[in-house]
Amino acid sequence: MEKKSKLQILTNGFIKENPVLVLVIGTCPTLALSTQAINGIGMGLSVLFVLTCSNIFISALKKVIPDTVRIPCYIVVIAAFVTIVQLVISAFFPSLNDSLGVYIPLIVVNCIILGRAEMFANKNSVIDSALDGIGMGIGYTIALTLMGCIRELLGNGTLFGVTVTANVITPMTIMTMAPGGFLTFGVMIAIVNKITKGKVREKQQNKCLGCPGSAFCSEKEEGGEQ
Amino acid sequence: MSMIKIVLAAVITNNYVLAKFLGICPFLGVSKKLDNAMGMSIAVIIVMVLATAVTWPIQMLLLVPKGIGYMQTLVFILVIAALVQMIEIILKKYIPSLHKALGIYLPLITTNCAVLGVCVLNIDEGYTFVESLLNSFGSGVGFMLAMFLFAGVRSRIETNDYPESFKGVASTLVAAAILSLSFMGFSGMIDAIFG
Amino acid sequence: MSIKHQNLVVSAAPHVNNPVDTAVIMRDVCIALVPALAWSIYIFGFRALLLTAVCMCASVFFEWAVRRIMHRDSSTIKDWSAAVTGMILAFNLPVGLPLWMAIVGCFVAIVIVKQLFGGLGQNFANPAIVARIALFVGFAGKMAEWSVTGKMAAAILNASPDAITGPTPLALLAKGAEVPNNAQMFLGFINGSMGEISAAALIIGGLYLVFRKVISPAIPLSYMATVAVLALCFGLDPIFQLCAGGVMLGAIFMATDYVTSPITTAGKIIFGIGCGVFTMLIRQFGAYPEGASFAILLMNILTPHIDNWTKTKLNGVEKGGKK
Repeated sequence: MEKKSKLQILTNGFIKENPVLVLVIGTCPTLALSTQAINGIGMGLSVLFVLTCSNIFISALKKVIPDTVRIPCYIVVIAAFVTIVQLVISAFFPSLNDSLGVYIPLIVVNCIILGRAEMFANKNSVIDSALDGIGMGIGYTIALTLMGCIRELLGNGTLFGVTVTANVITPMTIMTMAPGGFLTFGVMIAIVNKITKGKVREKQQNKCLGCPGSAFCSEKEEGGEQ
Repeated sequence: MSMIKIVLAAVITNNYVLAKFLGICPFLGVSKKLDNAMGMSIAVIIVMVLATAVTWPIQMLLLVPKGIGYMQTLVFILVIAALVQMIEIILKKYIPSLHKALGIYLPLITTNCAVLGVCVLNIDEGYTFVESLLNSFGSGVGFMLAMFLFAGVRSRIETNDYPESFKGVASTLVAAAILSLSFMGFSGMIDAIFG
Repeated sequence: MSIKHQNLVVSAAPHVNNPVDTAVIMRDVCIALVPALAWSIYIFGFRALLLTAVCMCASVFFEWAVRRIMHRDSSTIKDWSAAVTGMILAFNLPVGLPLWMAIVGCFVAIVIVKQLFGGLGQNFANPAIVARIALFVGFAGKMAEWSVTGKMAAAILNASPDAITGPTPLALLAKGAEVPNNAQMFLGFINGSMGEISAAALIIGGLYLVFRKVISPAIPLSYMATVAVLALCFGLDPIFQLCAGGVMLGAIFMATDYVTSPITTAGKIIFGIGCGVFTMLIRQFGAYPEGASFAILLMNILTPHIDNWTKTKLNGVEKGGKK
């Protein structure tokens, strides 16, 4: 990872290690908020901001934070930035606030952010961490917006609220509902698998990689086999 | 009657996993084996109820009167993290058998968005203390129900001969889509029964 | 993998008893569906035949195309299973449904529910059921538009002046309007999804399947008995509840799908009772007037657990499959 150029670090999150479609972390808001393209942008930018700030902060403090209590420390840092985002959105974008709802505070427990803190920011320099945060944030925004576009177009016949096909083809409302979310997500991951010729599936096997509890998770899953 | 309604609505119509998309990570990650799925679910139910029992009073008696409601997110997540740690320590010390069964799931739960989600949603919905506890319990049971059903489905489709691109998470998500589709049949049911 | 071999792997039970392959079974199912098809052509006219043909062709095409795309043996269309799925799906649709929506339904059934999970025998939910629900929820308006075509108008107008708008008996019941009498219900002088209107025609098909030992009567009987008992409990007419909506079609042709229903007789009875309970609960309390398809899907999902509880030999198969 150290060998990578700055540009590689930045673009890593776009496709190659896209947090949603390749690493498959932070799934809850992805599924819940991708009903509309605009939600994807709003949520994506919120995550981008929190991720970049927390990456910078944690990277800067990596020598100060004791290893044993690092996870709680990360959570505090992340929660602080999430609170800022929460206040800004509710002050300036009340309608976005309504549609994102509980998922804004839930950015705190979004595995992407903790995952990047744990996997990247506490090992790399401040600038690299910032670039990683921006790249991952953009990757997240792209994935969420793309999913939002697909579901909004098929399920509502609109794109960013503008009527596109709704008058011509009866929209299939189920795409904006829960089953449509799971299905779109599954199909998009499959498409990424296809494009990358299955290289990314390796990463999905230990998909909780970003999650601090992943060690327990996979251990138990394998232990359960007897 | 309204108490039962809250619980049943949380279990079925507003199922956390299948309708609200909270707790998807463990839903996808720990549902391969029924035993694990059940252990995880029990741990989630316990933590959800206890976390609500702690966070609701904090919000209503501490944060709101002091006018620092915006600290909710920060305080809640810390409380939940501390609570999970405490539960783990207590279990380890006094009920080691239970700790052996559930201990492994507890660290996962801190970052389970369903737990923080239920605490925040209880406040947002304006539930009273008792209603909040019931809602949390119902949500936990709803999580368990989804895990139970999905564990069955996954045991059935585990050895399937999937198309290359759909191996792994992709096919699991498509299966989850079908599961959530089946739950749509319950829509409106709780309201109809309880009026 | 040859077709026969694949079937032996996934659902051993019927093939051990029956030295027939999938194609023979599926052809029997097609034959069993003919009386109901004939009846709906008589009632709804040419459009019923068109819808069935489109669904069958689209399903077979999707089966062939998707297996081609996945570089798999696309000769599975010869086992008739896709054709049967298409036919059953058509039976589940209102006769006036725009054809492209029916084709979307076939896509859901064949591509998403069946082939994405590896093809015949590996789907955990009945393809036609999922497609029906997906269309039902997705195109709620069109799927509830029961147009009056062909002989329909004449047959219904004699029975009840209300029926010119073409609501189904269950919708009439929900509105508290006068419903067709039991003879009309049983014979099929009612409106509804294309193939499910005539209980009599479906039962003839069901008896043929039982006679040919293609299906065991355990699921249909326990399903129908549960519906009847619960109807009595709720103070409803059991014959009406049995003949209305998708219960007959579901109980005989969809709940009995080998792949998605339990293997042992005990399991089948549990499955049937569960279907009946969910059907009546959704009919009585749910937002949707008809619950048969949701009920069967829910029980499809519970099937692995039921198989586990009823201790079938599936466990051995599972272990063998793992290594």
